[in-house]
Amino acid sequence: MKQHAFLGLLMIFGALLMQGCAAPEPAQDLLAPTEAQMKIRSIQSRTFDVKDRQRAIRGVIAALQDLGFIIERANEPLGLVTAARFAEPNYYDVLGVTVTVRQVTEGRMIIRANAIYNNKPIEDPKVYQNFFATLERSFFVAKE
Amino acid sequence: MQTRLFETKDERELLSASAAVLQDLGFQVEESAKDVGFLRATKERSAREYGQDIGRFLTFLLSLGNVIIPVDLHQKIAATLIARPINQEATRQEVRIIFYRVVWKGSGQADRQYIPPGQQKMEMLRDPAMYQQFFAKLSKAVFLEAFTL
Repeated sequence: MKQHAFLGLLMIFGALLMQGCAAPEPAQDLLAPTEAQMKIRSIQSRTFDVKDRQRAIRGVIAALQDLGFIIERANEPLGLVTAARFAEPNYYDVLGVTVTVRQVTEGRMIIRANAIYNNKPIEDPKVYQNFFATLERSFFVAKE
Repeated sequence: MQTRLFETKDERELLSASAAVLQDLGFQVEESAKDVGFLRATKERSAREYGQDIGRFLTFLLSLGNVIIPVDLHQKIAATLIARPINQEATRQEVRIIFYRVVWKGSGQADRQYIPPGQQKMEMLRDPAMYQQFFAKLSKAVFLEAFTL
């Protein structure tokens, strides 16, 4: 009787232990936007009055270069610019940004900047405001 | 990051001349997007430096065989170039180029701890001679004078 109980307990214990060996299932909402991402979606986009998309993309590239970024990828048909830089003064942290330019109507573009710091998205709205201020300045300069 | 201005309407010509100059300098053009005037080129070279090897040997001696500093072994130099018009009538083009490099280091030893090879470091190249050489060649290739800002 005692042996049965002991064996039964051992089997239950073993079954509980084996649960750890099962491969973890990816969560259902792995690809869904996180809370933080949804909050910052609105501050990441801004509309600008630019004559055409090519001019907007060139303005974006100029603004990024002025901020010290290295342009990694620029694709006009897709309206896509990717750039990266070190988060100085510390040379261990990398700041990456992906900017997309989409046309809403003739002469109006939505520019969206996704910035990541190492591997986390930046959630501080001031960072995006600074970027868009620089962008606006670069459009002004191009107009002259 | 050095910028030069060229008095020309032809941006495509400037971009293709830049690609030719980069090839002359030993780079391979990896990516180009002519609609936005973007070029990216790289070249891989050995990064061994005489001074570093000497330093490594001396440190080895002075530390009585305990410390071996990892030296630079291999580097990839990359150049990113943007050409764009900067006035309304597109008669003046601005060419802006950035050189930077990624260096892979070798193996080393520090007091019984083995430092495996493959450490990387990246640095922007800020030696003006490189930029001057590039723009001198570009200027000659398009038969135009390069103005500074």
